[in-house]
Amino acid sequence: MSALADTQATPRRQGAAASTLRLAWRLAWRELRGGLRGFGVFIACIALGVLAIAGVGSVAASLADGIASAGQTILGGDLAFTLIQRQASDDERAFLDRHGTLSVIAMTRAMARSADGRSTLVEVKAVDAAYPLFGTVATDPALPLPALLAQRDGAFGAAVDPALLSRLDLKIGDRITIGNATIELRTALTGEPDRLAGGIGFGPRLLIGDAALRASGLIQPGSLVRWLYRLRLPAAGSGDAAVTAVEREAQAAFPDAGWEIRTRSKASPALDRNVERFTQFLTLVGLTTLLVGGVGVANAVTAHLARKRDAIATMKALGATGGTVFAIYCGQMLLVALFACVAGAALGAALPYAIAWAFGALIPLPVVPSLHGGALVLSVVYGMLTALAFALWPLGRAHDISVAQLFRDQVAGERRWPRRRYVVATAAVVAALAALAILTTYDHRIAAIFVASAAGVVVALRLVALAAMAIARRLPRARSAVVRLAVGNMHRPGALTPTVVLSLGLGLALLVTVIELNANLHRQFTAALPAKAPSFFFLDIPAADGAGFDAFIRDHAPASSLERVPMLRGRIVAANGIKADDLKPAAGSRWVLRGDRGITFASTVPAGSRIVGGQWWAADYSGEPLVSVESRTARDLDLKIGEAITVNVLGRNVTARIANLREVDWENLGINFVLVFSPGTFVGAPHSDIATLTFADGGTAKEEAAVIKALAAAYPAVSAVYVKDALTTFDGVVNKLVLALGGASSLTLFAAALVLGGALAAGQRFRIYDAVILKTYGATRAHLMAAFALEYLGIGLVTVLFGVATGTLAADLIVTRAMEFPFVFFAGQAAAAALAAVAVTLVLGLAGTSAALRRKPAEVLRSL
Amino acid sequence: MNDISGHPSAGDAIALRGVNLSLGRGSARVHVLHDIDLNIGRGEAVALLGPSGSGKSTLLMVMTGLERPDSGAVIVAGQDLHELDEDGLARYRGRHIGIVFQAFHLIPTMTALENVAVPLELAGARDAFARAERELAAVGLANRLHHYPAELSGGEQQRVALARALAPDPALIVADEPTGNLDEATGRDIIELLFRGHRERGTTLVLVTHDSELAARCDRVLHLHSGRLAAAMPHEAK
Repeated sequence: MSALADTQATPRRQGAAASTLRLAWRLAWRELRGGLRGFGVFIACIALGVLAIAGVGSVAASLADGIASAGQTILGGDLAFTLIQRQASDDERAFLDRHGTLSVIAMTRAMARSADGRSTLVEVKAVDAAYPLFGTVATDPALPLPALLAQRDGAFGAAVDPALLSRLDLKIGDRITIGNATIELRTALTGEPDRLAGGIGFGPRLLIGDAALRASGLIQPGSLVRWLYRLRLPAAGSGDAAVTAVEREAQAAFPDAGWEIRTRSKASPALDRNVERFTQFLTLVGLTTLLVGGVGVANAVTAHLARKRDAIATMKALGATGGTVFAIYCGQMLLVALFACVAGAALGAALPYAIAWAFGALIPLPVVPSLHGGALVLSVVYGMLTALAFALWPLGRAHDISVAQLFRDQVAGERRWPRRRYVVATAAVVAALAALAILTTYDHRIAAIFVASAAGVVVALRLVALAAMAIARRLPRARSAVVRLAVGNMHRPGALTPTVVLSLGLGLALLVTVIELNANLHRQFTAALPAKAPSFFFLDIPAADGAGFDAFIRDHAPASSLERVPMLRGRIVAANGIKADDLKPAAGSRWVLRGDRGITFASTVPAGSRIVGGQWWAADYSGEPLVSVESRTARDLDLKIGEAITVNVLGRNVTARIANLREVDWENLGINFVLVFSPGTFVGAPHSDIATLTFADGGTAKEEAAVIKALAAAYPAVSAVYVKDALTTFDGVVNKLVLALGGASSLTLFAAALVLGGALAAGQRFRIYDAVILKTYGATRAHLMAAFALEYLGIGLVTVLFGVATGTLAADLIVTRAMEFPFVFFAGQAAAAALAAVAVTLVLGLAGTSAALRRKPAEVLRSL
Repeated sequence: MNDISGHPSAGDAIALRGVNLSLGRGSARVHVLHDIDLNIGRGEAVALLGPSGSGKSTLLMVMTGLERPDSGAVIVAGQDLHELDEDGLARYRGRHIGIVFQAFHLIPTMTALENVAVPLELAGARDAFARAERELAAVGLANRLHHYPAELSGGEQQRVALARALAPDPALIVADEPTGNLDEATGRDIIELLFRGHRERGTTLVLVTHDSELAARCDRVLHLHSGRLAAAMPHEAK
C-alpha cells in the first residue's frame, strides 16, 4: 500500500470503528427495551456495593464538612495555643492579647471527693469569664455561666457530667472537694461546644471557673495542667489570611515557646485522622461487598449470554463480527451497570440526610448533609470497574459463540479461555481497580495489604472450589440415588459450588475476621491487660514529697509494689538536625511527633525496658545530656546511636545525644517512655512524679477503694487513674468501632446471599429437568428435597471451613503482627457465624429449588 | 474425486474443490465431508437431499464460511473464503449470503422490522429500515412490522426470516429445511416466496430438504450420502 493510501486508510478504519460502536450501542439498547429481566441480581449486587462506598464516602464528607464549618466552635477560637505544665509568659500573653479577644482554659485531671469520703477521677476544665468565645455551654437546668461558676456561700460553682453524680451517688446541689477547693454541683453539663477536640476522657467532666482551680491548689510547678489560650480575631480582620498571619507571627516571635498552635481550619487533626481512618476501613468493607457482588455479576452475565446464544449466533450469521457481538453485549452490560451504580450512588448520597434526620440529635458529631460529587463519582467508578472486571471474561467468550449451533444441536462447548485481548483487558481493569483502592484511601499500605489479601483469598477460594469438585467427582459411587444426585450436583458443569464457595466464602472470611478481631480486642481490654496491668496510675505527685508518698503507699497497701518516676511533658522539635515537621516517619511512629509526649530521666534502665544497642550511662553520670530512645521509634525516624534529638520542655529546647536504644514491653501498661534522658538533663525544671501501684494478687475492689480513700485525704492534689476503668472506656470505644465494621461486613453476607439466589435462579431450568425426570422414574419430593439439601449442606460446609479458617488466619495476623498481642481463637463466635452461613445456604437453596419440586412432570415433559 | 458438479466456469456462484471436513476429537472424530467438488452457477437453484447425518447442513455451513474445511477450496461469488479471517467472513456473509434456518432464529427482543434491518445495519446501510419495511411488505407482513417474534405465528416468523435473508440482496441464499417446523400449507407459502425471491432477483439458491417434490422444483438436485455427493441428477426428481 502506498503511503498516501495508508494515511487515508487510518481515518477510514477509525470511521468504521466508530460506526460499529454506534451500531453496537443501538442494538444493545434495542435488546434492553424488553426490560432488565435476568439482571436483578446483577443490579442488586453492584448497587449494594456502590451504596456502601457512596454512603461511607458521603457520610464521611458530610462529617468533614461539619467539622470544618464548626472549626471555630470545636477549637473554641480562631486560633488555639496549647502549653503543658506552664502558663504563657508575660510576653507571650501580651502578644496574644494584642491580636484579639483571649480566653484561657486550664485542663487537668483531679480527684473529686464527696462528703462521705468517696472519690473518683474527674476531667477538670477551668474556664475564664471570656469562655466560650464561640458556641454555648448547655446545662440542665440552664444557668448563665458567670453565675453558675461564681463563688457563693464558701463554695465555687460547677457544671458536672451526670456520670459523676451517679458514680459518687450525688445530686445537683451537693458539694465535693477538688484539691483544697469546695465545689458546689449547681447544674448538669449537657453540652460543651468545644468537646470534640478533647479526645477520650478518663473521667466525667467538671466545668469550674479559673478562680476555683487556683483555690484548689492543683496548680503546682510541674503539674500536668494543659493551658489553652484561645484567640478570637477582631471581626474586621478574621479572614483565613489573618489567621495564618497570626500563626506565622507567633512562630516567628516565639520560636522556642513549645506551644502547639491550631487554627480553626484544622481544629482537630486527631478527629480528622480518625474519621479518615475509619472511612478507609468502611470503604474497604464496601469494596469487599462489591467483590462478593462481582461473582453475581459474572454469573448474571454468563446466564444472560447463555440465554442469548441463539440470538448471538444469528447475528453472526447475519454478518456481525465477534468484536461487534462483544461490543453489543458489553454495551448492554455497561448500561445496566451504570443504572445499578447510579441507583446505589443515589441511595448512598441520601445516607447522610437519613442519618442526620434519624439520629442527628443523638450523634455527638456535626454531620452537615450535602451532596458530595467526588465521593459519588468514586463509588460509581468502583462499581463500573468491578462490573467490568467480572463481566469481561464471560463477554469475551461470547466473541467465539459458534453459528454452527443454529444448524445442529450442540452441547455447550468446553469452557475455554476468552481471546487474549479480553484476558488482557480483564487484567487491566483488575489492576485499575486495585490501583484505585490503594491510591484513593487514607493509608496506602493498609489498602495494598487488603488488595493483596483479597486477591489471595479469591484465588484460594477458586482453588478450594475446584478441589471440592474434584473430590466429589472421585468419591466412590454411593448406593443411595439421593447421595449420588447430591454429589453429582456438586461437581457437574454449572454446579453451584464455585459460586457459593467464592461469594459466601469471601463474605464469611471477612465477617469471621471482624468477629475474631472484636473478641480478641475485648479480651485484651477486659481480661488480658487488667490481669497484668497495675491497678492505678498516680499523677501529679509532688517531686519534693516522693519519699513521703512511697511511705504512705507502703503503709496503706503493704502487699503492693510501687514504681515512681519523674515526668515532664515535651515535644520533639528536631531529630538529627532535621526539624520535626520535615521528618517523615513510618505510619507506626507518627504519633511520637504529634503534640507533646511524656518524658523522664533515670539513672538506671527503667523496668519493662531492655537495652538492644549502645550502653546505658553510669548511675552517677553528670556529663552532656544523653537520651535513650525506644528502638522502633529510632528505626522509623532513622535515628542512630550518637545522633542528636532536640525536645522542647517548658518552653526551652534541650538537645541530647542518643546513647542507647531500648526495646519496651508496652503491653505491661507500666510506666514506659519513648525518650528517657540522663539525670541532670532537666536540672531546675519543675516537674511532678507519676507512679503505678500494682497489687501482688491483682488487688480486690476493697483494697483498691481503701487506697483511694486514704490517698484523697492525704494527697488531695494527686490524681489516681483507675486502670480497669480506663481500659473499659477504651474497650467501649473500640467495641463501637468494631461493631460498626461488623455491621458493614454483614452487607457482604447479604451480597453473598444475593449471589447465591441469582445462581440458583440461573440453574433453575436444570433443577426442574432433574426433578421432573427423577419424578418420572419414581422419586418422591422427599427424595429430591433430601438430595438438594445434602448438596447445599456439602457446599456450605466446604465454604464454612475455608471461610472460618481464612477469617481466623487474617484476624490472627492482624492481632499478632499489627497489634502485637497474643491471638486467642474464639470458637463459639466463629461457629455461630459458620452456622449462620450454612443455614443461609441451606434455606436459600431449598427455597430456590422449591419451584423445581412443585412442577408437574407432564407439563415439563411436553415442553422438552 | 467426488465431482458431480457440472462444469466450472467463471460465472460460478459457488465452487468447491476437494473439500474434506472432519468433526469431533479423538476417537469421536468423524469424517463428515469427503472430497467434495461442486460448482453451482449464478442464479441456479440447487436442492441438497440426503438422510439425516449425511452432512447436508455441514456442507451448507462450509458454503457459508461458518465451517472451515480441513482441506480444499471454497469460492463463493468469486471470493476464496480461505483468504478471509473470521471477521472478514462475517462481513462477507452479511453482504453476500442470506441464510434461512429451519427454526427461524429471529432475535426475540427485536420487532419484525428490526430483525430484518439488522443485516442491513451491520452492513452499514443508511436506509436499513426503509429497505426492511419493503422486504416485509414483499412477504405480506406490512401490517406486522412492529410485532415481536413471540407475537407472530410460525409461518409469519419464517416470512420475517426470509425477508431478513433477502434484504441485503445477497448473491446466494441458503435455506436449511425452511419448512421443517411448519405445517404443509404454510410451508407451501414460504416455498413460493423463497422461489419468487430467487427468480425475481436472480439469486443463487441452495436448499437443504427431505422433500423430493420440493427438490424437484430446483434446477439441480444433489444427493449426499455419508459425506459424499452421490451424483448430479439434474431434474431427476421432476
